[in-house]
Parts: sequence; C-alpha cells; structure tokens
Amino acid sequence: MSFIDNVFSSLRPELSGDAENRARERALDGAIRFPLLSLIKSSSVWLVIATIFGLIASIKLHSPGFFADCPILTYGKVEPLFWNTLVYGWLFNAGLACAIFILTRLGGRSGAPTTFLTISIVLWNTGVMLGVIGIMAGEQLPYAWLEFPSFVGPVLFIAFVGIGLSCLLTFHARVYRSSYVSQWWILAALFSFAWIYTAAQVMLVCLPAQGAIQALINSWYVENVFGLFVAPTAFATILYLIPKTLGSHVIGYKYSAYAFWSWILFSSFAGVSDLSFGPIPVWVSSLGVVASFGLLLPTTTLSIQFLSSLFRKFSVIWSSATARFLLAGSVIFLILMYYKIFGSLRGSLATTQFSQFDSGVDLLALLGFAGMVFTGGIHFILPRLFNKELPSSTIVDLQFWLQLLGVMLVSIGLISGGVLHGELINESIANSIAVVTALKSGFFLTTLGMFFFFLSSVCGVVTYFTILLSNRVEAEQSVDLINEAPELEYTAP
Amino acid sequence: MNRGPFIFLGVLIILVFSWTTVILKPNQEVGQLLAILDDDQGGRLPRELQGAAQHGKEIYQELGCIACHTQQVRVAAGTDIERGWGNRQSVARDYIDQDRVLLGRKRLGPDLSNVGERRPDVAWHLLHLYNPQINSRGSNMPAYSFLFDTREIVGSPSSRAMELPEAFSPPEGFEVIPTRKAESLAAYMLSLKVDYDLNEAPKSPETMADELAIALENAE
Ligand code: HEC
Repeated sequence: MSFIDNVFSSLRPELSGDAENRARERALDGAIRFPLLSLIKSSSVWLVIATIFGLIASIKLHSPGFFADCPILTYGKVEPLFWNTLVYGWLFNAGLACAIFILTRLGGRSGAPTTFLTISIVLWNTGVMLGVIGIMAGEQLPYAWLEFPSFVGPVLFIAFVGIGLSCLLTFHARVYRSSYVSQWWILAALFSFAWIYTAAQVMLVCLPAQGAIQALINSWYVENVFGLFVAPTAFATILYLIPKTLGSHVIGYKYSAYAFWSWILFSSFAGVSDLSFGPIPVWVSSLGVVASFGLLLPTTTLSIQFLSSLFRKFSVIWSSATARFLLAGSVIFLILMYYKIFGSLRGSLATTQFSQFDSGVDLLALLGFAGMVFTGGIHFILPRLFNKELPSSTIVDLQFWLQLLGVMLVSIGLISGGVLHGELINESIANSIAVVTALKSGFFLTTLGMFFFFLSSVCGVVTYFTILLSNRVEAEQSVDLINEAPELEYTAP
Repeated sequence: MNRGPFIFLGVLIILVFSWTTVILKPNQEVGQLLAILDDDQGGRLPRELQGAAQHGKEIYQELGCIACHTQQVRVAAGTDIERGWGNRQSVARDYIDQDRVLLGRKRLGPDLSNVGERRPDVAWHLLHLYNPQINSRGSNMPAYSFLFDTREIVGSPSSRAMELPEAFSPPEGFEVIPTRKAESLAAYMLSLKVDYDLNEAPKSPETMADELAIALENAE
C-alpha cells in the first residue's frame, strides 16, 4: 500500500543532503509533528462541517422548507451548531496549531510532552463532537457560543488546560531567554481563555446568576473569546510570519508593548455595549462604548505594523501564499475594527440592535480576519512539518480567492443587509413578514458567500490530505527543499 | 517583558478588574432581586410559569427559538411600543425566575414577551407551529411539523385532531394530532405576557399619556 508508505514517509521523513542544514528546525518540527498534525487535521475537517451547517442555516432563511422535516437540523439548532463548530472546531484547533508551532520555533526547544498534548487535543475534539451531538439531541443551552450542553464544559476545560500546560512547558523550556511579541500574545490568549471560560461556565452553567446578569456574562464571554483568545493568537501569527515570509523586521516593533497592553485592557471591557437599552444598568453598556473607543489605539498601532511591513515588500505577496493570506487578514482586521468600534455607539445600536449586523461583524472577525491568518499559518507550517512542497499552488490560490469572495459576499449580505434589517425592525413598524421579504436578497447573498466558504474549506482539506498522502518526490527528499528565513526576532531592527 | 509570570500577572489583573466591574458590580446592583408581592396586581410578580408552560419553555430552549426571537421590550430605542409588543421597559426583575435566560439577541421574528396577550388563541399557535404558512404566509419561520403525529383515523376522529386548511391537510383517512411538546410550547406562548407594572420599569411617554387619559376618563 503506497498510501501507507507515503503517510509513514510524511510522518518520519528520511532526508538526504547536508545533515547539519536546518538540523535545529527539523528537530523542533519533528518533536511537535504529531500533535500539530492532529490539530491541523481537526481544524480543516471542522471547517468543512461548520460551513455545511452555515450553508444549511443560511438556506433556511430564504427557503424555510429546506430540511424542514428533520428535527436535528431545524434552524434553531444549525445556527448554534455553525457558530460553535466554527469557534471551537476550526478556530481553536487552527489557532492552537499556530501557537504551538510559534512557541516551539521561537523558544528553540520543545518542552511539550507529546503524548499528553496529543491526548488533550483528542479530548478537546471529542468534547466538540459531544457538544454537536448534544445540540442535535436538544440539550442546547440558550447562551451564544456556549450552547454546548452542560456536561461538555468540563471536558473542554480539561482539554484546554492540557493543551495550555504543554504550551507553557514549551515556553518555559526555551533556550532564548528573551521573548518576542508573538509569545506574549499567545501566553495572554492561553491565560485569558482559561479564565473567561471558567467564569462563564461557573456563572452561567453550574450556578447560574439571575436572569438578566446571565445575558451580561454571555456578552462579556462572546466578546472576550474574540478579543482575548482568537484575535491575540491571530496577532501572534501575523507578527511571527511577517519576518519569516518577508525576510524583514516588523515595522514599528518597538510599539508592540503599548499595543499589547492597551488591547488586552480595552477589549476585556468592550463587549457589553450590545446590551444597551436592555434590562441591565445603563452604565455597564456605556463603559463598553468607552472601552471600544479605547481600542482605536491598539488597532491603529497593529494595523500600521502589519500593513506597512507588508506593503514595503509588496512583491513577495504575489509569490508567497502565506503573505497573501496575511495581507487579506490584516486589511479585513482594519475594516472589522471600524465596524466593531463605531457599531458600539448607542446611535448605531439604536439602528442595528437585534439585526443580522452582529453576525456579519462576527463572521468578518472569525472567517475573514482570523480565518485568513490561520489559513496562511497552516500553509506555512505544513511544508515544514513534512519537508514537502504544498501539493498544488492552484488549489491554494483557489482557496484564497474563494475565501475572500466568501467574506465579501457574506459581509455585504449580513452587514449591509443587517443595517437594512435594523432600520426595518427598529425604525419602522413594518410587520415581520414584510421585513423577511425585504431581506430576501441579503439572505441569498449570504448563502452564496457560505457556498464559497464551503468550497474554500474543501480546498483546505484537499491540501492537507494530498500533502500527507502524496509520494515524496526527488526534491522533497533533500533537506535543502526549504530555506529558513533568518532569525530576526531577537535582533534590533 | 521577557518573563511569563509578568505577562500572566498583568493579564490576570486586567481580567479580574474587568470581571469585577462588568459582572460582579452589576450582579450586586441588579442580580439579587426578589419577587414582589402585590395583591392589587394579582399576587407574586413576576408571575410564575405553571405546569405545561414550564415544560414548553424547555422545548423553546431545545428547539432554539431564541435564534430568531427576543423576549425584551425597549423604551429608549426602537419601535417596540408602537408595534404593541409591550407597554413598558423590560427590567432585570422580570427575569429572576429564568434559570436559563431567554432574552435573545436576534429579531428575525417579532419579540415574544407579550405574545400571549397579542395572540391568546391556542389553536392559532398550534397551526402556526405545524406550518407558519397556514396563518402567516411568507414567513420564514420553520415548520415544526415534527412536533405533530400524523396517524390513521381508527374509529371516529380524535377530538384533539387539528383542523387544517385543505392545502395542508393529511391524506384522506389520516389526522394530525399535536404531541405533548407542541401543546406545551403553545401553552408557553400563551403564558408569555408582562401584564403587571414594576416601580422601576420606565414606560414610554405615549403609554403614560394613554394611561393618564384612561384614568381621567374613569375619574369623570
Ligand atoms: C428562522 C427564524 C425563526 C425561528 C427559528 C422561529 N421563528 Fe417564530 N417567527 C419568525 C418570523 C419571521 C415570524 C413572523 C411571521 C410569522 O408570524 O410567522 C415569527 C412569528 C412567531 C410567532 C407569532 C408572533 C406574533 O406576534 O405574531 C410566534 C408565537 C413564534 N414565532 C414562535 C416561535 C417559536 C415557539 C419558535 C421555536 C419553536 C420559533 N418561533 C422559531 C421566525 C422564526
């Protein structure tokens, strides 16, 4: 069976050429190859599953008869299934893959106990799977991004602690004593998620607070999953990959610490503005608005770092798939933050509250910004893990354009559609059926965008499995296949 | 910035700070509320859910109706009052009995806080759940026909059988019976009404003007 041989050769490459060449990097990659593969595989597969759920949900909005007789796929279940598989299936697996890779490479030594790490990863994905089954079986909780039934919480928590500990051990074992900004972001993401997940599980699921406070905790959690876990891991990935793919320093690196602390501070308060006008004290949501405006500071700093570094080496962007994903992610980040910051104003909320607008911004954040960045990261990691080329640059290009097109269509459908939706439900007294009719074209656009996302996620899976299963060609048997970029992280610009 | 513990401590301080201000403080302000006994308004406020309606709430949660429906009325923004979705602001005390709060974040359909008052007819809800196209043509709310049994008529038709319009009726010799889940859900819909005032709950100027007019009329 040549496939099996190929898998073996992928997992344990025996390479020719100068053994000294990249010896250190190859040893590092070898130490984390197995856990990383299981993260990347799970993330790609979950993305396909998530986009299928998203597609079904979005079709149901314009054609409610679609799968109507199927109780496990009713809209109220596929919608949370979509978000939860997207967040815990795709983003966590992909983000943690990038995080572990970056920590190991930057530290120069892997301290992670491989078996323990792999078991934690399997446990995490089992947890997500149980959650999916639970929602289908009707055990869902009514909290956004926490719909998984209550027994899933501890499973995910333990698994996350396992993965987080392995990351900490790697950081602890590092040979370079100084640290690079990507490491700070990753550590912050790991600490933060463990904390916000515990707080949310305890105060929502185990010992639920009183009704209105639950809504508050939920909003705080949702915003922090993005602001304190997903975004930091994505920042870490961009800031690590910019020097690697472009071969030059991050411009304005010395402002990193300001961006880091101000982002953590403001984004931890920013989320609750969406509860304006609701049954919670007014000052809480006002605080959220102020904090959102505070985010202007780190957003500007980070965007200048990302975009000016990328634009200075614009020619590389056409030749490097990873750099292209990073550029798209960075541009989307800027657009996204514009919507997030100005969308938090009471004036904007008076129009957009309860509309599709929020989902549009969330998708821009998860699939547009973080999704693009992590996909770029995975395309950087895979060839190094296997010492093989990406199997087909056509598929990578296709994935890029489909994903970009998907982001555009979905955000037009949900964000512009959401503004229209908001105007109709908040500023007119049009009845609900008239509203639904007026939104039809937006629903169709979203479906089309979701369909493109689905195709792009299939490209991701194809890339993963072909690189794993393909025959190792001549050039790929040599250690010289990959040129490591110079280590710029610890030198002053 | 080279050390893990420094980052850990910094992040921890920020998070604790955020958690205390955003969650703990409001929890002290409006998170320990008690029900009110007001005999003029019919006893305990907010009203407690009874039997079937309580079960219906679980079905509402299980089927994810919250993906499209909110249960909160706003006075300071939106057109909730003009639409007749309620006559006062929803406040924290309205939710103290909800161990799983169903406030909602999306309004693809109407707000349901007062749907029991707007639509007091069980049969309407059952038909609407069986297939919204029967009485809300053009709606994109899903049909929940799986909450109903279609079965062969044995002997005389059941008294609980649904009276469906021709286009939606089952084949000759069959009848459609709501399951317990459908009936509980409909009971829950009927129970949804905020027909009491709370001192802390602001009303819109229009509502207050209307009430004043009625009070004046009664006085004369
Ligand atoms: C896809 C979104 C969607 C889901 C999910 C949904 N609804 Fe609806 N619902 C609507 C829309 C749109 C309307 C307005 C048109 C109509 O009457 O059907 C509506 C109307 C209603 C109404 C009538 C309200 C009124 O004022 O006339 C009730 C009651 C209702 N829904 C209950 C439910 C229940 C119970 C569930 C869960 C089992 C549910 N809905 C799930 C979209 C949805």
